[in-house]
Amino acid sequence: MPLGRFVTIAFGLFAALCGSLGGRAILRSAAAEISGSERVDERLAARWIEQGVEPAAPADDGELLRRLYLDLTGVIPTVWETRAYLTDARPEKRGELIDRLLLSPAHATHLADIWRDLMLPRKFDPNQTAGLVGLQNWLRRQFVDNRRYDRVVADLLVATGGDASGPALFYTAVGLKPEELGAATARIFLGVRLDCAQCHNHPFERWTQQDFWGYAAFFARLEQRTRSASSMRLVDAESGEVRLPDSQTIVPARYPGGTVVDPQERGTRREQLAIWMVSHDNPYLARATVNLVWAQLFGRGLVEPLDDFGEHNPASHPQLLEELAEAFMSSGYDLRQLYRNLANTRAYQLSSRAAGAADRPADLFAQMAVKTLTPEQLYDSLSRMALQTAATSRDRLADPLRQAFLVKMQTQTPSATDFELGVPQALTLLNGPELNRVTDAAQSGLLAALEAPFLNDPQRVEVAFLATLSRWPRDNERAHFIEYVESTPSVQRTRALGDVVWALVNSAEFALNH
Amino acid sequence: MAAWLDFSKAISRREWLRSSGLGLVGASLSGWLPVLAAEQAGGARRHCILLWMHGGPSQLDTFDMKPGHAHGGQFKPIATRADGLRFSEHLPKLAEQAQHLAVIRSMSTKEGDHGRGTFLMRTGYRPGGPVEYPTLGALVAKELGDESAELPHYVSISPYPLFNPAAFSPGFLGPRYAAATVGASEPPAAQGGSSYAQLKLDDLQLPSSIDPAQSLRRLELWDTLEQGFVTARPGNSALAHQLVYRRAVRLMRSQAATAFDLEQEPAAVRDAYGRGRFGQGCLLARRLVERGVPFVEVSLGGFEANSPGWDTHQNNFTAVKQLSDQLDAGWSRLMAELNERGLLASTTILWMGEFGRTPQINAQGGRDHFPNAWSSVLAGGGIRGGQAYGQTSADGMTVEDNPVHAGDLLATLCAALGIDPLKQNTNAMGRPIKIAEGQPIRDLLT
Repeated sequence: MPLGRFVTIAFGLFAALCGSLGGRAILRSAAAEISGSERVDERLAARWIEQGVEPAAPADDGELLRRLYLDLTGVIPTVWETRAYLTDARPEKRGELIDRLLLSPAHATHLADIWRDLMLPRKFDPNQTAGLVGLQNWLRRQFVDNRRYDRVVADLLVATGGDASGPALFYTAVGLKPEELGAATARIFLGVRLDCAQCHNHPFERWTQQDFWGYAAFFARLEQRTRSASSMRLVDAESGEVRLPDSQTIVPARYPGGTVVDPQERGTRREQLAIWMVSHDNPYLARATVNLVWAQLFGRGLVEPLDDFGEHNPASHPQLLEELAEAFMSSGYDLRQLYRNLANTRAYQLSSRAAGAADRPADLFAQMAVKTLTPEQLYDSLSRMALQTAATSRDRLADPLRQAFLVKMQTQTPSATDFELGVPQALTLLNGPELNRVTDAAQSGLLAALEAPFLNDPQRVEVAFLATLSRWPRDNERAHFIEYVESTPSVQRTRALGDVVWALVNSAEFALNH
Repeated sequence: MAAWLDFSKAISRREWLRSSGLGLVGASLSGWLPVLAAEQAGGARRHCILLWMHGGPSQLDTFDMKPGHAHGGQFKPIATRADGLRFSEHLPKLAEQAQHLAVIRSMSTKEGDHGRGTFLMRTGYRPGGPVEYPTLGALVAKELGDESAELPHYVSISPYPLFNPAAFSPGFLGPRYAAATVGASEPPAAQGGSSYAQLKLDDLQLPSSIDPAQSLRRLELWDTLEQGFVTARPGNSALAHQLVYRRAVRLMRSQAATAFDLEQEPAAVRDAYGRGRFGQGCLLARRLVERGVPFVEVSLGGFEANSPGWDTHQNNFTAVKQLSDQLDAGWSRLMAELNERGLLASTTILWMGEFGRTPQINAQGGRDHFPNAWSSVLAGGGIRGGQAYGQTSADGMTVEDNPVHAGDLLATLCAALGIDPLKQNTNAMGRPIKIAEGQPIRDLLT
């Protein structure tokens, strides 16, 4: 069935399931009114008052600029972008910057990176490059067009194209195993750890072993066909079942928390799941998604861990979560609107600086969390400074130096606020080729730019700070670094500037998103 | 020492781990075996050396000979220092250490593919599923590591991870527990074997364009920035960044890093280990253990120059003889020198590959993959040496008694090291996972 037709059918069913559309429309406009940034801030502030917590001061311009670039585009701003922003005195520049970044190609690339990372087990396989590029480009297209997120998910759930032509790597990366596909889709799109129920029932969870395998059964009929070396396709077969571990008991496909699929129901198993996923019978998708986006921006979810929704683990702000989910649905699952609303909140624009930090528990969001740059953000920001950015997804994803760097720096905890690297990785940052191409005069685009004859040494130090930390040097830093450069014999100036840049890119301020 | 290098000012690693939620969870059953209680009371720091035989070594041509049988092949068995225990004639020096060695002849696993077998043996768990199991070295180093040590806790010498990179990774424990890798290149053939394999810890050296004085100036600039930021934002991540960088810099500048400089060893010592990567790797392993590194692994059998390593589908006997020569020299010197230094009792050595080889010899004079019945060896600290455990049939095709699975082997290693194998780490999804799922074999333990 062509995707377009499928989606039409899906939404026909969806409308039928919802019943009275008129009633819903009223609810939606009410939700839209309270969806804005101000409503979020009201909810958060109510808790601050209740807990007697004083929020942090607002972030200064440089702090917020760098944060927005990293969170929305995955790279730090360029020198000219930074300079333009810092010298712009208009108060509306913040909102304008957010809008501009949300419409930039880099935003779609960054979201594709985030979702690709969520979708693939993190094992690195150089043989996957074709599929990786296919998945990345498919995701990017969805985000460039800002397609309704529920439809993106539905399309992924019925996707057939692999390698360069589609996202099927999501399926083949786990060998089409129903239990892994069930676990992954539940984790990413429903926010639940169904896989804990894979082996046995959990006494404190609502999900039973039957629930898990009933859900996995939606993925039991997948086969892989290879047309040519570069074009793999998935096929939904006529038969295929899952059985309980160590038993012959076939488990029928069953919607999470709902009914067993009627064998007479139309469509393939995956189509049936896709229809359920986008229906209002599914309370999970919108909540899990707003929580995911919240966590990307705030460093932790309203529900934390992100994939552990359930009565045993309530949200820090239950009402806020419900309102955000309701507003997300009403907006037509508009991700861009969601990012815009959250980025425009006062809470997102608070400083991460310390005064009084001990009195501000992280789950009150009264101070911005300090997040660690992902290995991708780190590498791509360094590339930007070296003036060596890749032109295409393929160039970027297949770059062997980048791949080696990501493997070495690969982090594990889903918590953005941990700094996980150890001594071997620190040695690579101190002495390895990735940083050396930014700090070595023979290779670095930034150092070449700093040699421009119309700059004097104080200006060069200033540019080095703008390029790396996205802020002006403070007075004491300015004095110290200028003295360092000027005390070096003039034939070695570039070398001294390389030292300055080296210290800047190795600093915690550079490695962290604060 | 520059003031900023003063490590005592930083929070301790233990405090930091606790504050970042990385502490251990779970039911530790200390006292479950007598050896654990004894070791915990005793106090000598424990070490582990993994001799990883990449490709799957032939048990019939090393530690489980079948003389007189058609499967036996061309090598002859020789007597060893242990009564009744026989090795291949190509392991004569190791035979002199047999009183410290326990050969397990009843390895029985289910993975006959290189990638899958490598994952199973190096993690103790079968591949697949959502859990990224940590490699053995990360698990052990996490338990035995000393927070104040300058050297890395887990050093991997000359690894060849391409069969399955995940089997060499710290998995859900995270990059902090990753191996520091030592790259190695064989001595250039052009020099006629007169030189040694070159071993180098990755990124320990400054880039060639940077001299030490410049490096120190860079670090002083860095420190002004770092201090300012950490003071203003005293969260865990900024402190952790500062701490890890200080540790790395301390390693670069420390005397301890000279552990990696094999030129400090007399030529006679270096020669006795063998000049290749494996021999020099064993020598480096001894130097690292002497300096307190808890886990070192040395690989033998990586592909290079068209050599298949231990994966001897063709010309098995030529290849195994050549590999045995390297193994015999490096491993036997390692045992002897650890013993001379009083370190053998606190150092447990595990020799294994991802599986064994078929008893039948194929038409190319080779042996193929065989996980059904094969051998591994435990030696040194905590191990009752001088014995063979388990037995295969006369034709080598089946395990006749005491089958040992991957989890049992790793649990036994843990027990020998004084680690409770039932201790649990928690992965990112909150699932508790035992260090080793299996039964320690009491007959192999002292």
